[in-house]
Amino acid sequence: MVKKKVPDWLNSSLWSSSSTTTTTSFSYSDTNHFDHHSSTSASPPIDPPLPPAATRDEQQHPPRHHHNYHPRKPDIKEDKHSKSSIVNDNISNNNSNNSISNNKIDNRKADNTESSAEDISNQALLLTELSRKVINMGELRRIASQGIPDGVGIRSTVWKLLLGYLPPDRSLWSSELAKKRSQYKRFKEELLMNPSEITRRLEKMMGFDNDDAKSESRYVLSRSKITHGEHPLSLGKSSIWNKFFQDSEIIEQIDRDVKRTHPDMHFFSGDSSFAKSNQEALRNILIVFAKLNPGIRYVQGMNEILAPLFYVFKNDPDEEMEACAEADTFFCFVELLSGFRDHFCQQLDNSVVGIRSTITRLSHLLKEHDEELWRHLEVTTKVNPQFYSFRWITLLLTQEFNFADSIHIWDTLLSDPEGPQETLLRVCCAMLILVRRRLLAGDFTSILKLLQNYPPTNISHLLYVANKLRGQPSH
Amino acid sequence: MVLVLALGDLHIPHRAPDLPAKFKSMLVPGKIQHIICTGNLSIKEVHDYLKTLCPDLHITRGEYDEDTRYPETKTLTIGQFKLGLCHGHQVVPWGDLDSLAMLQRQLDVDILVTGHTHQFTAYKHEGGVVINPGSATGAYSNITYDVNPSFVLMDIDGLRVVVYVYELIDGEVKVDKIDFKKTTTATHSAH
Repeated sequence: MVKKKVPDWLNSSLWSSSSTTTTTSFSYSDTNHFDHHSSTSASPPIDPPLPPAATRDEQQHPPRHHHNYHPRKPDIKEDKHSKSSIVNDNISNNNSNNSISNNKIDNRKADNTESSAEDISNQALLLTELSRKVINMGELRRIASQGIPDGVGIRSTVWKLLLGYLPPDRSLWSSELAKKRSQYKRFKEELLMNPSEITRRLEKMMGFDNDDAKSESRYVLSRSKITHGEHPLSLGKSSIWNKFFQDSEIIEQIDRDVKRTHPDMHFFSGDSSFAKSNQEALRNILIVFAKLNPGIRYVQGMNEILAPLFYVFKNDPDEEMEACAEADTFFCFVELLSGFRDHFCQQLDNSVVGIRSTITRLSHLLKEHDEELWRHLEVTTKVNPQFYSFRWITLLLTQEFNFADSIHIWDTLLSDPEGPQETLLRVCCAMLILVRRRLLAGDFTSILKLLQNYPPTNISHLLYVANKLRGQPSH
Repeated sequence: MVLVLALGDLHIPHRAPDLPAKFKSMLVPGKIQHIICTGNLSIKEVHDYLKTLCPDLHITRGEYDEDTRYPETKTLTIGQFKLGLCHGHQVVPWGDLDSLAMLQRQLDVDILVTGHTHQFTAYKHEGGVVINPGSATGAYSNITYDVNPSFVLMDIDGLRVVVYVYELIDGEVKVDKIDFKKTTTATHSAH
């Protein structure tokens, strides 16, 4: 076949169905994952995910969707020992994700309870990996890219590891954390001070501490020189007052955006003191970032990228981690944004690293994998990819899905060894491919309407397709 | 950190056409939270101009003000401080500290701002502080022609006030400051 057709697996009816609700409930309870076990034990015999050894012969055949296989069955209730044997198997037979995620999808389709079994053993794998003295990052990435289970409180730690905030060596954790947290504290002290305080400190340093200890009842107040020509109405470029007033515009913008972040979530919005302190934390992080990065400052949308990070870290079951969530979030935010900074800089829009070029890459990716759809969008209906993908790319898909779903997508974005930029493009491409029927049938208006309000989807679905788009174009 | 601008005795248009250009360039909207004006603007246009600098404007009546509705005295609370405002022509002898101190006790304020003499002064006595921001345009007064344009900017921060004095001397803006703290409870000793 010369012409690149849409691969058969894409045309399966599987992908055209609309959402099946995500199976895991989004709750951050402190319950031990073993409780999770007992709740599922009542259900009929569960097919846990098989160790890769069993799937070796599966790989000879192209994956078939409704194929039932019988894996070697470690019972769910078994102790950790057997699970570590699974882990060992995983490590020794280092297969691609494909087989596992493939089977995972099958399992999900087959039986809802099966997927919670999936999660449990995924969870177990993660926990085992996390409990090592020195964590194998490659292994962690591999397991995490299949999704981090909710409700176990490990997402916070895993994300910190993936973003390089925590070193893989456990013994270094406490010293690293202490160092970073005190650094953030210093940043806050220096940058969030208002000019009155700054002048006071300057004077103290220069010894101008004039405490009126005069006992006379009345006297003319003496006038003193101002330090460094600093006064509130100063128009000098280097004046702290002038800079303060210039910054106050940005601070106002940050304030406004923080108040508008996720108004539907009690965590972020509302009158409770909890919400207010969270907003305060977001505000501080963004202000410190803006002041430390004068080249990029604050751009609307950064608050949306910050929100899931802070949410996850603040919901860490460990008290110490939760208390220092603000500092940790700051550094992870910097790290996460480092790959995407150039998207926020207007001058770089048309450059090789800017947002336009990234959108073009998405376009090429689509062309590689689904030329028919690409042609329909670019040529026939002339839908400029900027109209829909700009927000997808700059805000890392936080606005396209509900909060829980976007956190699941971020699990994959952060853990994929190809890096978040590449993975993001693949996920965006997958988003387009998943709704291809409706896109191919639509005109300019309906296409835009659809893509700018992307319909709720099964996220594991989506991530599976995105995964498939890795590397070579056709299957 | 609250910035309060205190000025007065502009006498526009009768004795001066406008604020000095160097003052005007510094007074931009968005920086100042309150303006207190001792009086003698004298016309509505000046009132409107001050309103553009800051919406929170307090004025007391001077003897040449065309708007007769301004009050004789005014008090307001900013942060931890109570401020009193009066033009000062009512207090005789003009500029006399004892008489002003009486007015201050009457109004029960920590900082009393008055004008009329067109000379900057700042006194401290048991009751508190008396500040005269002078004339912002350098208009001549009843007493003298030799007047330097001046005004005052107060930075109120908790219990501490930094008073920045802006004066136009020989065409250059000179800035000085005065620092004082409020003692938490001032005990009035009976004489």
